[in-house]
This record gives sequence, C-alpha cells and structure tokens, in this order.
Amino acid sequence: MTVIEPHVERDHVPAPDDATTRQGRAWKNRLFKLAMLFCMFVAFGTLAVLLVDTLVTGWPALSSQLLTGLPSTVAGEAGARPAILATLYLGALVLLFSVPIGVLTAIYLEEYANRERWWNRAIEVNIQNLAAVPAIVYGILGLAFIVRGIGVGRVVLAGGLILTLVVLPTVVVASREAIRSVPDSIRQGAFALGATKWQVVWRQVLPAAIPGMATGAILALSRAVGETAPLIMVGAITYVAFNPTLMGPYTALPVQIYNWTKQPDADFQVLAAAGAVVLLVIVLSMNAVAIVLRNRYRRQW
Amino acid sequence: MRVEFQGELDALEAGFQETGEIVLRSIRGVVDALRTQDVELCDEVIAFDDEIDDRYHSLEKQIELVLARQTPVATDLRLVLALLHSGLHVERMGDQCVTIAKLTKLSSHLDTKQTVMESLVDMGERCEEMVKVSLDAFAGRDVETARGLHRLDDLVDRANRQVFGEVLGYVNDPEALEWGMRQITVARCFERIGDNAVDIGEQTAFLVTGEFAEFTDASH
Amino acid sequence: MEAPRIDSGRIAEVAHGLDRAEVERREKVFSVSDLSVAYHGNVALDGVDLEVHKNTVTAFIGPSGCGKSTFIRCFNRMNDLIPGAKVSGNVLYHGEDLYARDVDAVEIRRRIGMVFQKPNPFPKSIYDNVAFGPRVLGMKGSLDDRVEQALRQAALWDEVKDRLKDGALGLSGGQQQRLCIARALAVNPDVILMDEPASALDPISTTRIEDLMHELKRRYTIIIVTHNMQQAARVADMTAFFSVLVNEEGGRRHGILVEYDSTTKIFTTPSDKRTEDYVTGRFG
Repeated sequence: MTVIEPHVERDHVPAPDDATTRQGRAWKNRLFKLAMLFCMFVAFGTLAVLLVDTLVTGWPALSSQLLTGLPSTVAGEAGARPAILATLYLGALVLLFSVPIGVLTAIYLEEYANRERWWNRAIEVNIQNLAAVPAIVYGILGLAFIVRGIGVGRVVLAGGLILTLVVLPTVVVASREAIRSVPDSIRQGAFALGATKWQVVWRQVLPAAIPGMATGAILALSRAVGETAPLIMVGAITYVAFNPTLMGPYTALPVQIYNWTKQPDADFQVLAAAGAVVLLVIVLSMNAVAIVLRNRYRRQW
Repeated sequence: MRVEFQGELDALEAGFQETGEIVLRSIRGVVDALRTQDVELCDEVIAFDDEIDDRYHSLEKQIELVLARQTPVATDLRLVLALLHSGLHVERMGDQCVTIAKLTKLSSHLDTKQTVMESLVDMGERCEEMVKVSLDAFAGRDVETARGLHRLDDLVDRANRQVFGEVLGYVNDPEALEWGMRQITVARCFERIGDNAVDIGEQTAFLVTGEFAEFTDASH
Repeated sequence: MEAPRIDSGRIAEVAHGLDRAEVERREKVFSVSDLSVAYHGNVALDGVDLEVHKNTVTAFIGPSGCGKSTFIRCFNRMNDLIPGAKVSGNVLYHGEDLYARDVDAVEIRRRIGMVFQKPNPFPKSIYDNVAFGPRVLGMKGSLDDRVEQALRQAALWDEVKDRLKDGALGLSGGQQQRLCIARALAVNPDVILMDEPASALDPISTTRIEDLMHELKRRYTIIIVTHNMQQAARVADMTAFFSVLVNEEGGRRHGILVEYDSTTKIFTTPSDKRTEDYVTGRFG
C-alpha cells in the first residue's frame, strides 16, 4: 500500500538577510518620520505663532467696552458693538436662507434627480466649481444684482443674501454627503412597506441626515462670518455708530477690524488685534459646536 | 425548535410502533390458530399481512422524505436508520406469521401430537413476549432490556431443537411424519421471529450508543 | 428518554410539506407568465412561468446570478425603484395585472411585504420601527395593539415588551430580522416576500426564522429566495430551481427557470438533470 506523505520541503533554509539593506530601510523609515514631523511643526507652529501674537497684541484692549461700546475716533473709547451685532445678524440671515435652500437642493439632487439627464449632470459638476469661486466675485454680483439691481441698497439684508450665495454650495455639498451616508437599505425597507417617495425622504432620510446637515450648516456659517471682501464690495460702510437694523446700513466685524488697522494711531492696532480675537472666539466656538454635534450623532451603520 | 421536523420523527416512530402492535396481534392470532387448529383465523392472519406490508412501504417512503428534506444528523439520523431497519424486521415477522398460518392450514386435516404442540405454543408465546419487550425497549431507549432479549431467544432456540428431536421419532408413522415435518418449519418460523426481535434490540442499542454490535455471534 | 406514543393517524395531518395536488387545490395568489427582466437592455431573467398558491411557502433556489432576487422583486414592484429596469410579461395578482397602468405600486407594497437579506431596522425605537408602516399608511385603530400583535406574530414580543422605546439597532442580528418581519406584518399584508432572510444570521436564529415561517404560512403566503438548498428542503412546499443560461454567441448570461415542483419531488426525484446536479452539489 503506497503511503501518501505530505509534501514538506525539508531543506528549505531562509536566505540570510542582507545586512546593509536592512539598515538602509530602517534609516529611510526614520528619515520619513522626521520629515513629516518637521512639516507638521512648520504648519502648526506658524499658526500658533500668529495666534499668540494676536492675543498678546490685543490683550490690553480686551474689555467689556470692546463688546458693548460704539466705535469712536478715540481708541480708548472705541467698541465694536454694532459690528458684532451686525455679524450676528448676518449669521442668522445666512442660516435662515442657506439651510432651507441648500437642504432642499440637496434632497432634489440626491433623491429625485434623474442622473441620466444632462442638466442634472451639469449641476452636479458645477456645484463644486461654485464653492471654489472667490468670494469677491459674489460681492461684485451682489452689488450689481441685489444692491443696485433689485434696489435693496447697502443694507444688512443685502449682506445676508450675498453671504448666503457664498456659502450655499458648501451647504449643498455637506447636505448631499449627509443624505448619501444614509444607507440605501433604509430607503428600500421604507418603500417595501408602502411609503411614498416623499414619506421616505421626510420620515427616514432627513431625520437620519440631520446631524450631518447641521454640521455642514454650522461650518458654512463660520465661514460666512469671517468673510470680508464681499461685504466691502456691497458697502458695509466703515463708520457705523448705531445698532444696525435689517434694512439699514451696517458694518461687520471683519470689516471693522480692517478699518482699524488702517488707522495711524497705534492704539487702533491693538484694538484691531482684540477684535480679531473676538472674531476668532466666535468662529472657533461655532466650529466646536459643529464638532460636538458630529461626534454625538456619528452612527455606526 | 424545528417543530415540524420533530413532529415528523414522532410520526415515524408512532407508525412503527403501531405496525409492531399489529404484528403482535398476528403472532397471537397464529398461536391461537395453531392451538385450536382454526383455519378461518389462519386466513385472517394471512389477509392482514397486506396491511403490514403497506405500512412498511409507507414507513420507507416517509423515511426517504425525511432524509431528503430534513438532513437529520446525530441521534436523529440514528433514529431514522434504526426505524428503517426495525421496520423491515417487523415486516419480516409478519411474513413469518403468514408462513405459519399457511402451514397450519395445510396440515389441519392431520392429527396433532401433544408434545410438539405444547413446544410450539410455548415458542409462540415466548416470541410474542420477545416482540413486546423489543418494542418497549425501543420506545424506552432501554439498552439493558434490549440486551436481555438474547436470553429469551436461547429458550426459543432450545425449544426449536426439542421439536426437531421429537419429530425425528415419528419416522415410523407417515401421517405423523408429514405433520411433524410441517411443524419443524413452523418452529423455524418462530425461531426467525425471535431472531428478528433480537435484531430490533440491536437497533435499540445502536440508536442509544451509536455503535452496532451483534448481541450473540452466529456460531452460538 | 421516553419516545412518545402518538396516534399516527393524526400525525398524517402534520404538514411536512404539502404535495403538489394539495398546493394546487388552494387559491392562486400569483400567476406569472413569460416574465422577463432586463437592466439597461441586458436581460437578467427570461421566460418564467409559475404560479404561487395561498398559504404555502414557495422557495426559489439556484446558483448566484440566476436572477432569483430579481424575480422576487417583481412581485412587489421593487424593480420599479431601479433605474433602467424593465419588466415584460405578465404577473397576475389575484387575477389582476400587477403592472397595469392604473395600479398603485404603493398599495401593492402594503399587501405584498418584503424582508431583506441583511436586517435593516430603521434607526428609531423598536416601537417606531413597527409603527412606521401603519403610520405612513394612515391605518386606523390602536397603534399599540397593532405593534403588539405584529411583534407577537414575529415571536419577538416577549423579548422586547419591556423595552419598546429602546433603539432597534441595539438588538442582536436574529432579533433585528424578526423585528423586520414584525414591521412587515404590522400593515396586514397578504403575501410576505423574503429575500435570503437568514443568510446573515447564525444557525440558531436561522432555525427560529424557519420555525416562524411554518407558523406564518397559516395566515400568509410566503415566497422566499435562498441560496441554502437545505433550507428550501426544510421549509418550502414548492421549490423553483433557477439556473444560468450562457448565450453561446455573445457569451451573455441570463437566468431561466429550470424546474418548478413540490419540494419533495425536487429533492427526491427531480425531472431535470440540471436540478439533480444542483441539489446533489455536483453543479459547477
């Protein structure tokens, strides 16, 4: 009876490792690590230096006066209350306009649009392009069509509308991502129960996508709040010594800071730095809220 | 869990036990017919065998279905196999009863001899007991009792040899010889019924232990 | 262990798979003739004829790519949701053309429910999952009662009755699938379609679902797709075997129905050699 034995290579000895290449590989590994660390330090280091410098420069002017006072030609008495209020109003307007329009656009593009039609594909491609358009171009557009064309004038509403245009592509993209992240199996399950398209979107897709959409909206908002160029274009006039109203003239915080830096008086530089700190605080706290929201509602599908 | 499947297994086993009950009645019937030389009773037993055969075929068919559809494993598989074999043994017992009945009819016109008749009736009653015990042991999954069957079988075998010995003595009486030779076959049928009962006992042991072993070897 | 003594006459009623004659005595629920499905012009399934009867379990088996999932989706018009999908041929539901112009696909799906391969509970509470169907359909009557009934029928009530407000995603895989079954039952369907309902589950959950199917078929008609033929052997009354036909010139493949008969026949004496090869595992 033939015995079948497993095939084993008895004389297989691993080739000795080439010592030089092993050393070489280890060194390359270390070198790459060092290079990455160096780049990281450059990037963050620069940022850290900027932040610290601003904070240090602006420290003397950080006071309640800055937050509650009106602007003045005297540095010691100047405050940024109108600018801060206008910035907050603009933020609210941006949210009010961009969220419904952006979300509904995203729903249409993701759930209803037939991707085989050329116009839908064209929209698809151009959403990203719109997000990349420099904000000042929106400023010019806004000046022509909203401020002068519709005739609204250089008012807070106009500023809000223009900033909405600036951030709308971002909101649409973020909302689309949120909608896409809802697994298709949820939709299939809902359809299989006899739900209509709208019921599926309204009762299943949207609720599941809200965290992602909220994150996107807040990030868009924090960008809008920091925009300067388009607001200058539509006349966020530099000297406003009263609380802004919806249909009245205004200035926004970034513009106010810009204006202060143009003043010869050194104290205004300090004020500008302080203003920059306030703006940073507003933006960073919005971002923090967005991050908290995103982490709390991150789902494991 | 697997309620349907369990129901099917229960049905198979119930069918088997019922067929066993019927065969028991057949054995009782032929023993009575033999003792009282009742030809009509013999005819009944012979007619009843059709039912036993039908039941066996039905059992076989159902087992095929269970194997195909439920892919039983482990104890379930052994149960199904044990039922298949035991069903066949029961069917064979039925056939033995038919042979006994036919022989009784054939020799009913002849005189009976008491000694041999007593031995035969004794064998018949022991067989009935063995069959009952084997069926109960199967139902109760009782290996000990099943193993005990071969002792009862020894008694049946001994009675078989006694009958043979007796008939050898009828060599001078042609009618008695004719009768006696038929009764030798009857005795052999009873002996076969006993063997089949032991086989059912072996199936019980297989079912419980997973191993198949003859209770006694052929040389005994 | 005592073996039970049962009257075998009564046992004969235990339905261990109805035979073909018994099945065909029951009311016809679906009547499919010359059904064909194509995606963007590529034929996926061709020339299917079969009938499904009330209160039976019908299984579709076959190798992957044979179109059985495509086929089951024709019964509740879920193929409508796939762009480029075209269904030709006839599907009659209780005698009415399922694909007629004036048929409301939404109403169809209420009466013909579906359970999917991977359990897909909504990211809501257990209660809201089961209540979703009745809510969107505007069903009258006590929602609490409907939810309890459905969960009882799906053999899940006892396990979740004290935590109906908990998230559905916290249940185990087997429980989630039973929840999906409860969800489908809550809208009082006529038919339940199951596309490989147990393939993502462990063996014990699988057995539970199979036991459930035996129970459910008393009230509903069930059609299942399964790639596990032993499962079809265990649960189905009728089995349809699909296979792949390779077009010799073009090399294109599409699915066809090879044999459709009682499960008993398919697994003991199949008529077609291809069926025999498949069920004995010699296929491919």
